[in-house]
Amino acid sequence: MASNQQTSKSLWGHAWDSLVSDKLTVVCMSIVFFYALVALLSATGLIVSDWSKEVGPSYAPPSSEYLFGLDIFGRSVFAKTVKATEIAMSVGLVTGILTVIIGVTLGSISGYYGGKIDEFLVWFYTTVSSVPYIMLLISIAFIVGKGILAVYLSLGLTSWTGLFRLIRGEFIRHKDREYVQAATAIGGGDFRKIFKHILPNVFHIVIINFSLQFQFAIKSEVILSYLGLGVQGVPSWGTMINDAKLELARGNWWQLAAATAAMLVVVLAFNILGDALRDALDPKLKGK
Amino acid sequence: MSLSAYVIRRLFYVIPVILGVCFLIFIIFNVVSPDPTISMLGKHATKAQVLELREALGLNRPLYMQYVDTVKSALTFDFGRSWSTKQEISEMIKQGAIPSITVTFPAFFLSFIISVALSLFVAFYRGGMLDKSIVFVCVALMSISSLVYILVGQWFFAFKLGLFEISGYEEGFPYFIPYVMLPIVITVILGVGPDVRFYRTVMLDEIYQDYVRTARSKGLGEKTIMFKHVLKNAMVSIITYVVLRIPFLILGSLLIESFFGIPGLGGITLKAVNSSDFPVIKAMAVLSGIATIIFNVITDVLYVVVDPRVKLE
Amino acid sequence: MAEKILEVKDLVVEFKTDRGKITAVNGVNFEVYKGKTLGIVGESGSGKSVTALSIMRLIPNPPGRVTGGEILYRGQNVLDIPLDDMRTIRGNKIAMIFQEPMTSLNPVFTVGNQIEEVLELHQKNLSKQERTDKAIEMLRLVGIPSPEKRVQEYPHQLSGGMRQRVMIAMSLACEPDILIADEPTTALDVTIQAQILELMKKLQDEMGMGIIMITHDLGVVAETCDDVAVMYCGQIVEQADVKTLFGHPRHPYTKGLIESIPSFDSTTGGEKGRLPTIEGMVPSLFELPQGCNFQNRCAFATEKCKGPHGEPKLEAIGSGQMVRCFHPLS
Repeated sequence: MASNQQTSKSLWGHAWDSLVSDKLTVVCMSIVFFYALVALLSATGLIVSDWSKEVGPSYAPPSSEYLFGLDIFGRSVFAKTVKATEIAMSVGLVTGILTVIIGVTLGSISGYYGGKIDEFLVWFYTTVSSVPYIMLLISIAFIVGKGILAVYLSLGLTSWTGLFRLIRGEFIRHKDREYVQAATAIGGGDFRKIFKHILPNVFHIVIINFSLQFQFAIKSEVILSYLGLGVQGVPSWGTMINDAKLELARGNWWQLAAATAAMLVVVLAFNILGDALRDALDPKLKGK
Repeated sequence: MSLSAYVIRRLFYVIPVILGVCFLIFIIFNVVSPDPTISMLGKHATKAQVLELREALGLNRPLYMQYVDTVKSALTFDFGRSWSTKQEISEMIKQGAIPSITVTFPAFFLSFIISVALSLFVAFYRGGMLDKSIVFVCVALMSISSLVYILVGQWFFAFKLGLFEISGYEEGFPYFIPYVMLPIVITVILGVGPDVRFYRTVMLDEIYQDYVRTARSKGLGEKTIMFKHVLKNAMVSIITYVVLRIPFLILGSLLIESFFGIPGLGGITLKAVNSSDFPVIKAMAVLSGIATIIFNVITDVLYVVVDPRVKLE
Repeated sequence: MAEKILEVKDLVVEFKTDRGKITAVNGVNFEVYKGKTLGIVGESGSGKSVTALSIMRLIPNPPGRVTGGEILYRGQNVLDIPLDDMRTIRGNKIAMIFQEPMTSLNPVFTVGNQIEEVLELHQKNLSKQERTDKAIEMLRLVGIPSPEKRVQEYPHQLSGGMRQRVMIAMSLACEPDILIADEPTTALDVTIQAQILELMKKLQDEMGMGIIMITHDLGVVAETCDDVAVMYCGQIVEQADVKTLFGHPRHPYTKGLIESIPSFDSTTGGEKGRLPTIEGMVPSLFELPQGCNFQNRCAFATEKCKGPHGEPKLEAIGSGQMVRCFHPLS
C-alpha cells in the first residue's frame, strides 16, 4: 500500500483495516451478513415459505430425511429454525434502531444543553433505570398486548438507558472542545453543531452499542416468549426454546438444540464483533 | 463536607426519583394498562359485575388519589392485598424473601469469588492463548439463552442423572439445600461470563496505568503488582458494580424460581404477571425500584469511602 | 576520574508494530559515573526514554525488545541476569522517576505506604516502625513540609511538585547508585521545575549517585548535567561534556537545538527577535533516509549526506567530543 495513503487515513479507515486484519472478526462479519441474507430471503418468501407444512410424523427425530427432526405438528424443525431467523434479525434491528434513536436524541440534548433540561432527562433516566428491566419489559408488553410489536417496543423502550448515559457523557466532554467552539465562531447553530460536529465524533459509541444491543435483543426475545409475551403465529427461537420445556422430558431435544445453536452462532458473532469494534474504534483502548 | 452530610444530601436527591418510579408504575398499571377486570372476570361478565369489581378494587377512585396510594405504599410498605390470593402482600414479601436469598446469596458470593479470581488470572496472562480462550468461553457462555441453561440443567442433572431435586422447596436449614443446589450452579454460570469480562477490562485498564510502571521500577514482582496495586484500584470499580446487584438478591430470579418451583419473590412476581395480579406486580416493581435507588446511594457512598480520589462536593 | 557505574554498549531496541519493525534505539553507547549527571537530550521519538527504560528492563515486551548490545552495571550485564535478580536491582541500585507525577503514584495507597513498600522490598532488616520513620525522613529530605502528616496522605492531596518530590523520596529511599530521571520536570510549572532540579542536585551531592537526566529541554541540561548525549532517530549524534557542547557544538542538529533556546538577549531586544527553529520534521522511523538521518533538515547537507557513502559514524573530534556528521561544524 502506498505510504501517502496510509497517513491520510481517518479513524474509520484505520478501524476498518484493523477489523478486516483479524480473521475471527471477518468470520463474524460474514456470519452476520449470512444471517441477514437468510432473514431477507425468508421475509420475501424466497425460502422456507412452506415452513408450516406437515412433512412427516409428529416428533420424528433427526434423520437423513428430516435434517433437524420434526416438531409436534410434524413440521420441519430446520425450516422453522431458518424462518425464525427473520424474527430474530428484525427484533435485533428494530430494537437496535429504537435504542439508538431514543438514546442518542435524549443523550445529546441532555449533554449539549445541560441545565434544567439535563436535570429533567437525568431524572427520567434514573427513574427508568431504577425500575428493574424485566418489570418494565413485562409492563410494556402487557400494555401493547402479545405479539411482535410488543417485543419491539418493550425491548426498544427499555434498552436506551445505557446509550443515553454514554452519549450524554461524551457530549459534555466534547461541547467545550476547540472544534465546537470554532463551529460556534463561524456561526453554526445548535442543530448543526450537534449533528455535524459532535455526533460524528461520538458515533463509534453508537455503533458498538448497536452491535451489543442487537444480540441482547435476540436473547431477550427468548425470555419474553417464556413469559408468554413473545411472537405469535410465526416461529421464533424463543418460542422454540420455550416449547422444549415440555418436549425435553420426553427426550425430544432437537428443537431446543437447533434453536440454541442457531442463536448461539449469531449472538456470539455479534458479541465478538462488538468487542472488535470497540478495540478498533475506541481511541482510549487503542494500543492495548 | 463530612461523609454524613454527603449521605443526607445524597438521600435528598432520592425523593424525586422515588416519586418518579411511583409515577412510572402508576402510569403503567393505573392509566395505560388494559382493564384488569376483563382478565379477572372473563369476557362474558356483565357491566354491573365489572363496575362492582372496579369499585371493590378501588379503580374508580380519582387518578391522582390512585397515584397518592402508590406513593404511600412505597413509603409504608403497605401494598394491600393480592387480588388472586387475597393475602397481605407485605406478608407475601416477607415469606418470599427467604427462599430467594437461599439461592441468590450463595450464588452471589460464589460467582464473585470465581469471577474475580478468574479475571485476575486472565489479566495476569493477558494477550496469551489462555486469556483469549477464557474470554472466548465467557462470551460463548453469554451467547446462550438463560432459559437453555435452566432447561438443560434441569433435564440432564436433575431428571437424567438424578443428582438434584427437579423442583420444589422445603423450608428450614438444611432441608432446602438439595433444592437450591442446581439453581445456584446455574446462577453462577450465568453470572461468570459477563462478570469476568467486565472485571478483566477493569483490570487491564489499571495494568496500563503509570503507577504500575512505577511499581515495576521499584522492583516489585508482577504478582505483587497484580494482587496489591492493580486489585486494590480495580476493586473500586468492582465493588460499585457488585453492590448494585444486591437488591436483586432479595428479589430473586423470575426464571429460575418459577422453573425450580422455589417460592421466592421472583416466582411470586411471575405468578402475579400470569394472573394479572396488579397489586403484587406493582408492589414488586416499587420495591425493586426503591431497593435499586437505595443501593445506588450506597454505591456512591462506598465509592467515596474506597476511592480516596473522590472528593465530596 | 570518577568511578564508572554504568556502561551502555551498542544498545539496540526494536519494536514490532502493525506496520513492521522499527528500531527505536540503534547502537547507543554511553557511560555513567558516580556523582555525575549524564544528560540525554532529544525530541520525542528520538529513543531517549526507550534507552532509559531498557536500563531498567522495563520495555513493554511485546511489542519492544532489546535485540543487541550490553548494559553493564558495575561490570555485570543487566540484560543477562534473571528477572528475579533484576528486581533486587530495580528501585534499590537503579531507581527511576517519571514525567507524570500526577499518575505515577498509586492513587489508592498513601504516599508513606508507597515509600515504605520500597524499603520493605529491599531493606528487609528494617522493622515496620523503622520503615515509617525512614519514609518520614525521606519526605523531610526532599523538602516536604510537616512530613509526619503528609506521610499519611494520598497522592491526590498533594500538588504536582509535591508528588514529584514524593517520587524522588521513593526512588532515593534505598540510596541507589543510579537515578534515571525521565523528563522529571516537564509536567511542572517553571518555578517548580527549578526547585526540583535544585533538589536533585543537592541530593546528588549528599548521596553521590549518578544521574541520567532524560529531557528534551537543553535548559535543564545546562543547569544539571556534566555530560550530554544528543539523540536523533535512535542514535547519538553528538556527545561531549556540557561546557564543550554548549560552547562549541559540532553537529548542525545540536547547534539548532541550542539556538532555539530562548534567552534574554533575543526577547529584550527592541524588535521581537524571532527564535530560530529547526526546519522540517523528524523522519518517521519507518522510512529513515539513506545516509544521514538529519539530511532533510540540515542546511549543510551535501550529496555525500544523501547516502552513497552510507551513514555517518559517531567519531571522536577534539578532546572527549564525539559527533556523527560528515561535515562537522568548525
